[in-house]
Amino acid sequence: MNISTSMVVLIAVIGLFGIGLYCLLITRNLIRVLVGLQIMVKGAMLVLVFAGQSQGQPSLGQSMALTVIVADTIVAVVGLALAVQVKRSVGTLDIADISKLKR
Amino acid sequence: MLQLEPLVLITIFVPWIGALIVWLVGDKHDKVQHLFSVVFSVTAAISSIAMLWVYKTGTVLSFSMGSTYGDFTFITDGLGLFLSIVATVIGTLAIIFSVDYMHGSAQLGRYYSFVLFFIGAMVGLVLTSNLLLMFIFWEITALCSYALISFYNDDPKAVAGGMKALIMTQVGGLGLLLAAALLFVYTGNFDINIFISNPTLLPINILAIMAFGMLIAAAAKSAQFPFHTWLPDAMEAPSPISALIHAATMVNAGVYLLARFYPAFKDVPGWTISVMVVGMLSALMAALMALVANDLKRVLAYSTVSQLGYMVYAVGAGGILASQFHLLSHSVFKALLFLAAGAVIHSVGTRDMREMGGLGKELPFTRTVFIIGSLALAGIPIFNGFWSKELILETGLEHGNPVWIYVVMLIVAGLTALYTTRCVWMVFYGEKKLERPIHPVGRNMKIALIPLAIGAFSTWILIEPFSKMMSSSLPVHLIQEVNLTELFNQVIFAPATWIALAIIALGIMIWFGRGALNGIKQILKPIAGMAEASFGFEKINKFIVGSTQDLGEGLRITQTGKLNWNVFYILVALVVVFAVLMIGA
Amino acid sequence: MWHVIILVGIIFCAYQAVRDKRLLVSAIWLAGTSALVSIMMYLLGAYQIAVIELSVGSGLVTVLFVFAINIAGDEPIPNLSFIPKWLARIFTVAAIVLIGWQLLPLLNFPINLNQDAGFQQLVWENRKADLYLQVVMIFAGVISMLRLLTDEYQIRILHKEVQE
Repeated sequence: MNISTSMVVLIAVIGLFGIGLYCLLITRNLIRVLVGLQIMVKGAMLVLVFAGQSQGQPSLGQSMALTVIVADTIVAVVGLALAVQVKRSVGTLDIADISKLKR
Repeated sequence: MLQLEPLVLITIFVPWIGALIVWLVGDKHDKVQHLFSVVFSVTAAISSIAMLWVYKTGTVLSFSMGSTYGDFTFITDGLGLFLSIVATVIGTLAIIFSVDYMHGSAQLGRYYSFVLFFIGAMVGLVLTSNLLLMFIFWEITALCSYALISFYNDDPKAVAGGMKALIMTQVGGLGLLLAAALLFVYTGNFDINIFISNPTLLPINILAIMAFGMLIAAAAKSAQFPFHTWLPDAMEAPSPISALIHAATMVNAGVYLLARFYPAFKDVPGWTISVMVVGMLSALMAALMALVANDLKRVLAYSTVSQLGYMVYAVGAGGILASQFHLLSHSVFKALLFLAAGAVIHSVGTRDMREMGGLGKELPFTRTVFIIGSLALAGIPIFNGFWSKELILETGLEHGNPVWIYVVMLIVAGLTALYTTRCVWMVFYGEKKLERPIHPVGRNMKIALIPLAIGAFSTWILIEPFSKMMSSSLPVHLIQEVNLTELFNQVIFAPATWIALAIIALGIMIWFGRGALNGIKQILKPIAGMAEASFGFEKINKFIVGSTQDLGEGLRITQTGKLNWNVFYILVALVVVFAVLMIGA
Repeated sequence: MWHVIILVGIIFCAYQAVRDKRLLVSAIWLAGTSALVSIMMYLLGAYQIAVIELSVGSGLVTVLFVFAINIAGDEPIPNLSFIPKWLARIFTVAAIVLIGWQLLPLLNFPINLNQDAGFQQLVWENRKADLYLQVVMIFAGVISMLRLLTDEYQIRILHKEVQE
């Protein structure tokens, strides 16, 4: 079977997306949740770039991917700061113990 | 030589920089915070008054956002300029008042930064000619209003009032967003002046959707019927906030929106009548509710809704100059009334008028300024409310507007006089009921009240430069210039004025003769009962809020709080959606 | 051929990032995934984004993760998840299959490398509003992180003073 570039890229995207989703479903550690989120966002970035290239507007796809990178980095920064604060005030990073908002 | 561009930038951004600096100073140095806030707002006020000498028509500033989005433009015409002067000057006076009112309060940094942020955003709202940027500033003012209403955030009533205000004004904001989106889709950019000059660019049904969307946005923001219930509950805010946001600036944004887009929408069938009916209903219902309210600030809040109803009615009737002139007078005397009420409440410690009485002897200065404000509100000659209200009532008779609406507005003028007299009497005259010690009014409060009192006497003299500025810079709105002698002729010698004065005098006399009118009072009692329940609107609100909360309680079982389950449900929803899509395709 | 090798590398690194029990090693595998994704984007012809992703994704974010994991501590948490593993696997596979089905028509798109308006002009001029929004977002993120972490810093100083 002739494996074209598009097929490879799409399999990569689907694979990244699925692995990120699996991580979000399985993990109990708050920081690993952020790892899973990062993986999913990389899949999104890849598919944006690919869509731009295949529709004949490569720079549009790239500028949207740029916005996604910035937003995702900010999410990682704020998420990690929040995780650190959670560890300090609750004492553990297990999401089972932080399931109640009011304590 | 003064340049216009830096003045515009200073007026908008100096309050924002001030907000950041006051927040960073920290709550330990509260004297520094008071000082900086006053300095920043005075700077903005001076810069916006300075714009009066150098304003010009046409786009002043333009920030390019690239070819995809168009430009963010700023324009200084008469309509925007006078509102920015009102916002900054009354903002400065409210901040000077807060130096005494919020003395010793906690979290002062949050208060001052939101007030300064609000002033900058309000100036930006009126000075821009890009509809998207106007929407952004609109939402910023709604955010600041919410934050300031629930400033005392451990008081559940304040928080509830803030949420209600936020939700109602945001729903209105959707109307504005819809109009902005439609404008962009059909004309390719967001510029307002291009749109107003030739509204025929859009097909008539799209124009109708835009017109009614903007009417909804303006009605929600200015607390008109049917969105009028948030303003009385917003009175949990500190009094300088009520004076600034809910009397003089933010609620005027709705009237400003209607006035600015009037030339574009006046040919949409049914729009002008709807505007007039909305204004009339708000004015009537709010006046009735003010008559039976017992909380001092609630009476003033209902009175604000009623006067805004006058302005909206004037816009619908075609009198843009009359409505903006009344906006100017109303900002001055309503801010005066709210600040004076704040001084009374601060000294006495309660907001209920039934517990006050006979305060005129203890607080003579406050009594004087409050009476000045209420005479202006009632429309007594010499004060500025008289001139502008008469102009509005006369506009109602021209242009072939329906006469029955005019008659209702006339009756509301009488009701205004009635509830104003009631309010003044219950607070300042009669026997003294209060046992608590009354502490005197602070010096800064008096400093803030004096310019407003002088303004209540005299802003009507500015009619000539005011109308000249508006007619020269707003070519499409067809505003005529009016100078003082024409004003005298129009107002004093018109029979409409004499009828109005007679009804106002009747209103005042009804209060003083209330003992003799007990029989009529019994007949009107059911109406009073309905008015107290705000004509059933509170019930509708409670029902909607209650059913939403019950639904939430029932669905609470799905919120386990564990992240994995939440993601799992999202995934299940995604799978379901995809399956449906596949079967459909 | 290179595409397939990088694809295998991406899937492997991502899977290891999820599977490994220690957080620090997870972060390193994440850096590896970032680097491989950036190489894939370079092979697709998006040169500028590849460079940005390389420096931000496998540089900045990895450093942040390592920093946070050091502060928060790396205690092991029992790995019994709430959702039974077989259920999670089934649903993930179902989602993947469905998305794959939707993407099927795109399988044979040609990739043309002609640059249209140019990346420079698009980002810096045509879509200026995007740029300003990103700047605002960065400011918001920085300010919120400062507020979140200064309290901790002050408490640490207090603890040090109490100890001495």
